[in-house]
Amino acid sequence: MRAYAEGLVLAAISFVAIWGAWQVPAASPGDTWAGIVPFAASVALLGLSTLLIAGASRQPAAAAPTASDNGATFQIVVLFIIALIYQQSFRWFGYLLPTAIVAPVVLYMFGVRNWVGLAISVVACPLFFHLIFFVLLGVFPPYGEVFDLLSWIQG
Amino acid sequence: MEIFPALLSVISDPMLLFAIVLAAAVGMIVGATPGLTASAAIAMLLPITFYMSPLFALAFLYVIGKSGRYGGSIAAILFNTPGTAASAATQIDGYPLARAGKAGKAMKVATISSIIGDLMGDILLVVGVGYIAAIALKLGPPETFAIYFAAFVVIGSVIGKSIVKGLASALLGILVAMVGLDPISSEERYTFGSFELSNGIGLVPLMIGVFVLGEVFAQLEERRKVTGETKENESSADGNELTWEEYKPCLPHALRGGLIGAGIGVLPGLGSAIAAFISYGEGKRRANNPEQWGKGALEGVAAPESANNAVSGPSMAPLLTLGIPGSTIGAILLGVFLIHGIQVGPTLFLTDKELVYKLFACGMLGIIAYGVIGYFGATQVARLILKIPTNVLYPLIFMTAFVAAYSARGSMFDVTVMTCAGFVGWLMRKYDFNIAAFVISFVLAKGAEETFRQALLMSDGGAMIFVERPIALAFILVGAGAIAFRIRGIMKERKLAEGGLGDA
Repeated sequence: MRAYAEGLVLAAISFVAIWGAWQVPAASPGDTWAGIVPFAASVALLGLSTLLIAGASRQPAAAAPTASDNGATFQIVVLFIIALIYQQSFRWFGYLLPTAIVAPVVLYMFGVRNWVGLAISVVACPLFFHLIFFVLLGVFPPYGEVFDLLSWIQG
Repeated sequence: MEIFPALLSVISDPMLLFAIVLAAAVGMIVGATPGLTASAAIAMLLPITFYMSPLFALAFLYVIGKSGRYGGSIAAILFNTPGTAASAATQIDGYPLARAGKAGKAMKVATISSIIGDLMGDILLVVGVGYIAAIALKLGPPETFAIYFAAFVVIGSVIGKSIVKGLASALLGILVAMVGLDPISSEERYTFGSFELSNGIGLVPLMIGVFVLGEVFAQLEERRKVTGETKENESSADGNELTWEEYKPCLPHALRGGLIGAGIGVLPGLGSAIAAFISYGEGKRRANNPEQWGKGALEGVAAPESANNAVSGPSMAPLLTLGIPGSTIGAILLGVFLIHGIQVGPTLFLTDKELVYKLFACGMLGIIAYGVIGYFGATQVARLILKIPTNVLYPLIFMTAFVAAYSARGSMFDVTVMTCAGFVGWLMRKYDFNIAAFVISFVLAKGAEETFRQALLMSDGGAMIFVERPIALAFILVGAGAIAFRIRGIMKERKLAEGGLGDA
C-alpha cells in the first residue's frame, strides 16, 4: 500500500511538472526551448513513478503503523504547522514576539517540563538570537507590519 | 609546490589558525553527537560566513566537514551509536573493543588512522587537482554535460536503498532547480505567476531546511522510539594506552584504506560510507587474523576510519575543477564559493589559485588540529556530548534554522522555502528517498542544463553529439554502467537472501 502511495504521489508531481514545462513558450529561431530540461526530467520522473507502482504489486504487505508511529507523525505535523505560523508571523509581528511565544512551545514539545526554564526561554531565546544575528552580524531584522515589539521597545 | 607558500601564509595568520582549531573542535562535537551531522552544522553556519572573508569562511566550513567525519568514530566507539553512516563500519570492531575495556585504545587507533587517511587524501588532491583542472579546461559542452549526466546517475543510483527512489530524488532536485527564470532566454518556468518564485529557490534556505529543520523533525520522531540513555564505554586501566607494537599491524590497513578512500572520493556521490565498508571488507580479506575481525580487532578500526577520512580531500577535486560537488558538504561549499562571487570550475585555477591552495593548507592544518584534540581529548569530548541536553539542543537548532535562513538574504520568502524544505526533507528521509541525491542534483542542475543546451546549439539540435564524441560517450556509458552494476548487486543480494531462506 505504501509503495503504491509513493508511486502515485510521484506520478502526480510529474504530471504537474509536465504541465508546468508545457507552459514554457516555444524557443525563438536558433535557440533551444527553455522547457526542454524540465520536460525531460518530469517525463523521466513519470517513468520512475510507473516503475514504483509496477514494483509495488510484487512487494509484501508492509506492517501497519503502530500507535507510536502515528503519534510521532502527528507531533511532526503539529511542529510543521507551528513552523509555518512562526515564519508567517515574522511578517506581522517582527522577530521578537513570535520567538518569545514559540520558544517555550517547542521546548515543551521536546520534553522540557521545567516551568522556570520555559519562562526563562521566553526572554532568553529572542534576546540571544537578536544579539547574535541582528546586533553582532548586523542583519536588518524583519519588520512586523501589525505590531513590532522591537520598535516599541526602542520607542 | 604552491602548497608550501600557502601553508606558510596560513600558519602566520593567528586568526585563521584559531578558526581552524575552533572548526576542528566544533566538527568533532557535531560529528560525535548522535543525530547531528556535519552537513547540518555547515548549513546552519553558512549564513554567518557571509560576513567573513572567502578564505576564512571556506576554511572554517571545510575543516568542520573534515573533523565531522572523524567525530563519527567517537560516537561509534564510545557510545555504540554511529554518529555518521561511514562510522557504522568502525563500530563493527570498535564496539567489541569498547566492551572489552579498550575504548581508549580503539579511539587512538581511529584517530591515527583518520589522520593518515585524511592526509593521504589531501596530498593526492594537491598533487592531482592541477592536472584534472588542465584536462577540464579542454572539455567542451558535450563532454561536460556527459560528466554531469554520469554524476546524476551515479549519485542517484549508487547511494540509498532503492535505485528508483534515488534517481527520483535526483530528478526532483533538478525540477526544483528549474524554478525561476531561464538563464538563457529569461522565460519563466514553474513560477505559477509568483514574483518571488521568479528569482528561483535559494541554495541556502533549501540546505538549511533539508539538513537542519528536517533533522529536527526526524529527532522529534526518534525521541518516541529511543528507550534508555546513552552511556560512555569506560576504558580499563591498560585499555587506554596504545603502543607502537599494537599500531604496527594496523599501519598497512590504514595506508590501504587511505588509497581506497582517495580513489572513491574522486567519484561524485559515492561518499565515505561506501569507502569505509569497501576498505573494511578488503582489510578483512587480506588480514592475517580475519577470524578476529568483528570481535574486536584494532585493524578493523584502522581500515574503515582511514578510508572514511581519505574521501574528504579528493571529493573536492570534481567540485573545484568541474563544479561538480561529490558530497553534500561539497554542495554547501559550492554555495559559499558562489556567495563570495567565486566561479568554481577549471578557470578557478587561473583566477583564484592562491585561495584554493590556502584552502588545502587549512584542510591539512585542520587534520592536525582534530588529530591532536582527538588523541588527547576524545573521551573528554564524549563526556561533554553526554552533558548536552538534547531536549534543549533541538529546539534551539529549530529556532536557529529560521533566523539563519532569514539572515542569508534578509528575505522572508527564503524562510518560507526553508520551512517547506524542512518538511519535505523529513518526508524524504521517512520514505527512504535520497536527500544527498536531491541536494547535489539541485546544485548541479543549472550547470548541466547550460552545457546540455550549448551542446545542442553546437550540433543544430541533434543529440547524436553526445555519442559521436568519445569522451562524452565514455561518461554516458559510465552512468549506464553504474545503474547496471547496482542492479546486478541488488539481484545478487536477492538471490543470496532467497538461497538463505531456502536453506532454512
